[in-house]
Amino acid sequence: MEDDCRPLLGPDPTGESPSHRGSAGSLDIRTKRPFYVEPRNIVSDDPQERISAEAAILNSRVHYYSRLTGSSDTMLSPPNHVIPTAEEMYVYSPLGTAFKVPDSEQAAKNPSIVTIFAIWNTMMGTSILSIPWGIKQAGFTLGIIILIFTGLLMLYCCYIVIKSPKAIRGVDTSSWEFPDVCRFYFGKLGQWSSLVFSMVSLVGAMVVYWVLMSNFLYNTGQFIYNHAHNVSTSDSEYGTNGSDRVICPYPKTHPGRNDSMTSLCGSSSANDSSGSSFDHYWSKTSTIPLYLIILLLPLLCFRSASFFARFTFFGTISVIYLIVLVTIKASHLGFHLEFHWFGPSQFYVPEFRLFFPQLTGVLTLAFFIHNCIITLMKSNKNQENNVRDLSLAYLLVGGTYMYVGVLIFAAFPSPPLSKDCIEPNFLDNFPSSDVMVFVARVFLLFQMITVYPLLGYLVRVQIMGQLFGNHYPGFIHILVLNILIVGAGVLMSMFYPNIGSIIRFSGAICGLALVFLLPALVHMFSQREQGRLTWQSAFFHSFLIVLGVANLMAQFFM
Amino acid sequence: LPRGMSSSAMKKKVLLMGKSGSGKTSMRSIIFANYIARDTRRLGATIDVEHSHVRFLGNLVLNLWDCGGQDTFMENYFTSQRDNIFRNVEVLIYVFDVESRELEKDMHYYQSCLEAILQNSPDAKVFCLVHKMDLVQEDQRDLIFKEREEDLKRLSRPLACTCFRTSIWDETLYKAWSSIVYQLIPNVQQLETNLRNFAQIIEADEVLLFERATFLVISHYQCKEQRDAHRFEKISNIIKQFKLSCSKLAASFQSMEVRNSNFAAFIDVFTSNTYVMVIMSDPSIPSAATLINIRNARKHFEKLERVDGPKHSLHMRMR
Repeated sequence: MEDDCRPLLGPDPTGESPSHRGSAGSLDIRTKRPFYVEPRNIVSDDPQERISAEAAILNSRVHYYSRLTGSSDTMLSPPNHVIPTAEEMYVYSPLGTAFKVPDSEQAAKNPSIVTIFAIWNTMMGTSILSIPWGIKQAGFTLGIIILIFTGLLMLYCCYIVIKSPKAIRGVDTSSWEFPDVCRFYFGKLGQWSSLVFSMVSLVGAMVVYWVLMSNFLYNTGQFIYNHAHNVSTSDSEYGTNGSDRVICPYPKTHPGRNDSMTSLCGSSSANDSSGSSFDHYWSKTSTIPLYLIILLLPLLCFRSASFFARFTFFGTISVIYLIVLVTIKASHLGFHLEFHWFGPSQFYVPEFRLFFPQLTGVLTLAFFIHNCIITLMKSNKNQENNVRDLSLAYLLVGGTYMYVGVLIFAAFPSPPLSKDCIEPNFLDNFPSSDVMVFVARVFLLFQMITVYPLLGYLVRVQIMGQLFGNHYPGFIHILVLNILIVGAGVLMSMFYPNIGSIIRFSGAICGLALVFLLPALVHMFSQREQGRLTWQSAFFHSFLIVLGVANLMAQFFM
Repeated sequence: LPRGMSSSAMKKKVLLMGKSGSGKTSMRSIIFANYIARDTRRLGATIDVEHSHVRFLGNLVLNLWDCGGQDTFMENYFTSQRDNIFRNVEVLIYVFDVESRELEKDMHYYQSCLEAILQNSPDAKVFCLVHKMDLVQEDQRDLIFKEREEDLKRLSRPLACTCFRTSIWDETLYKAWSSIVYQLIPNVQQLETNLRNFAQIIEADEVLLFERATFLVISHYQCKEQRDAHRFEKISNIIKQFKLSCSKLAASFQSMEVRNSNFAAFIDVFTSNTYVMVIMSDPSIPSAATLINIRNARKHFEKLERVDGPKHSLHMRMR
C-alpha cells in the first residue's frame, strides 16, 4: 500500500571500504565474479577466437586474485570499469551454443504503463476508505474541488521531488533517495528530519492498520457467528430496511456535529445489546485488539520481510474489489443528492463546510508517495516521460478516490439516514451480515495482515539503522520497538478508533515536512545555486510551505 | 630492534614503499602469491620488517613499508629506525597512487626516502610505480603518466629512477615487475644468448626463464610467432595458483610435465633463482630426453650465475 515502497535492504550503514569505489557491502555480486569461463580447447588450433584476448587475460587474473583473499572480501574484486561491457559478454552452454548476457540494467526497466501501475498500486492505501467521510466533512462540492486541488498540489510537489537529485551537480546521485538529497542540502538536520517524518507516516499507517484489522476481524467473526447461529441483527442497529441495508452506527441528534466527540461516547454502544458471552469475548474495542497481538507480534519479529513482499498483489485485488463493490452498491441504492449550499439541513450537509481541513489532512496521506517516488521512477524505461507518467498516475489515483468518494456519498440513502452518518471507514456503514462487504473485509484483513509486517520491517530498518548502525542489533531491541508500535496500535484501537482522525493527523504532520517544507526548500536552494531563483518562484514555494503549516494547524482546531 | 639487520651482509633488501592505501599490499600479494587476510587492511600501517619471508632473486628479502601514514607512532618509529631501514638496500620500489589528492605530500615523503637511500645505500636502484592507472580515463593515461614521470625524474636527481605505470587490472603490473627483475639480473644478455642456444639445441618451440618466487618472466626464446601475447602472465597466474594449492597441503612445487598429442611442456627448477619452461611441439621426442637436456643445461647456467653475479648468492642452493 502507500508505504511499503522502500527497498527492503537499506544502504549498508557501515559500508566504508578503504577503496571508496562505491562498494555496496560485501555481499554484492562482485564477489561472485569471474564473469565467464574460458573454453579450454587446447587441442585444436582453433583460429577463430571466441573471446577477446583482453577478456581472456582478465579472466585469468580474476581467477588468480580470487585465490588470494577470503571469499567475501572485495579487496581484489574487479571494479565495474574493468569488466567488459554487456555487449561483449556471452554465456556459453556446455553444448556449444552461446547467447548474450542480458544487460541487468535494462532488464529492470519498465515500460510506462508498468510504472504508472506501480505508482497507483503503491499510493492506493487505506485512505480510500475515508474519502467519502472526508467529502462529507468538507461538503460535496467543496470536497470535489479540494480533491482536485490537493491532487494537483501534491503532484507538483512530487514533481519537484523527482527533479531534485538531477539538479545536484558533481556528485553521483543515481542511488539517492529524497532523504539523501535533504542531507546534501541541509546536512544531518535535513536527513534526520526527513527520516523522522517518514517514520510518522509509517507508524501512523501501522496504527490505522491495527484499528482497521480489529474492525474487520470483529465483523468477520460476527458474520460467521451470526451465520452459524442464525442470529439476525437487523433490529439492533439503526439503518435502512431492505436487502441493501445501510446502517448508521452512531446516530447523531445534531447534524454537523463533530464526529470525534460522538465516537468517544458512542464507542461501546453499537457492539452488544444482547450481552451474550460471545459479544463479551468478541468485542471490537475491548478484546480483539489484544487477540491480534498474538498473531502479529511474532510476525513483526521476523528477521526478513521478503516473505511478505510476495503478497502485495492482494492490495490491488482489494482495491479493485472495492471499486466493484461501490459500483454495485451505488447502482442498487441509487443517487440521493440534494444541494444545500451553506445552511445545515436534517438529512444533508452543506456544500461548503468549515471542516474541510479534515479532508485536506486525509488527502495529504492519500496522495503521499514522496518518500519513495524517486526509486519508483528510476526503473522507468523512458526517463524523459517521467513527468507525464507521474501525472497520469496521479490522475488515475485521483480518479479512483473521486469515484469511490462521490459514489458512496451520492448513494448514501439520505431520506432515512443523514449524510452525517457516513463513517470514516465507509464499510462500517454496512452491517456485518452483508455478504459482499464481508468479502471485502476479508480481503482487506488478509491484505493488512501481510502488509503490516512489511511496514514494521521498514520502520525497524530505518530506526535501527540510524540508531545502532545495524538492521538487527539484537532481539531485545527489536522486541522493544515492536512492543511500542503494537502498543500504540492497541491503545488507539481500544480508546480512540477513529481512523479519520489518525489519518488526517499523520498525513498533515508528515505532509508538512516531506510534501511541502522540504521539497520546496530544496527546490528553492537548488534554484538559487543555479542562479534561477525568481521572486515569483520564491513566493510560490514559500506559499507552499505556508499551506503545509496551515494544513497541520487546522487539524488541531477541528 | 629488528634482528638480522647487521648479521648477514648477504641479506640485501628490496624495499616496497609508498603511502598507506597506495596498493602495496595488494601488489605484494599478487606478485608473490601471498594470501591477504581480511584484517590486514584494516590495521592501517603495514609493519613488515624482517618478518617477511619472501625471498626474491635468491637472497633478496622483500620489506614492505608504509610511508607517511597518519599514525604518529609509525612516523616516529620510521624516523628513529631510518638508518636501519635504508641500509643494505638493493632495490627501492616506490608506489604512488595516481588518484592521490596530496601530491605535494607524496613527493615530500618520496624525497626523504631518497635522501635516506643516498646516505645509506647509494648504489640502490630506484623504481617508481604510478599505480591504480585503471582509475584514469584511457585517453588521459599517457599524458598523466608522462607528467608524473618528468616530475619524478627531476626530483630524483642525482639518483636515476625508472618509472612505470601500473594497475592490477591490466598487464602493466606484470610487465613492470618483469622489467624490474630483468634489470636486477646483471648478466641477463648473456643469459638470453645461452637460452637461445639451449632452445635451438633441444629443438624446443619456446623456452621461458622465470624468477623462482614470482614466476615473472626474466627472458624467453621463441622460434615462431605465438598468438597469445598474454601467455606469460597466464602461466604465471596458473603456477602461482597451483603453488597456493600445494602449500595448503604443506607440499611445495618442484616440477610439472604437461603432455598431449600436440605438444609437451616441462616446468622445472633450473638455477637457484630461476625456473625454466620448455615447450616442445614434436611429441615424438621422449620426455626423458628433454629432461636430461634440461639437467645438463642447469649446470651450465649455474656456472654463469655464479661467475658473473657477485651481488647474488655465493652459496649455491642445492635443492
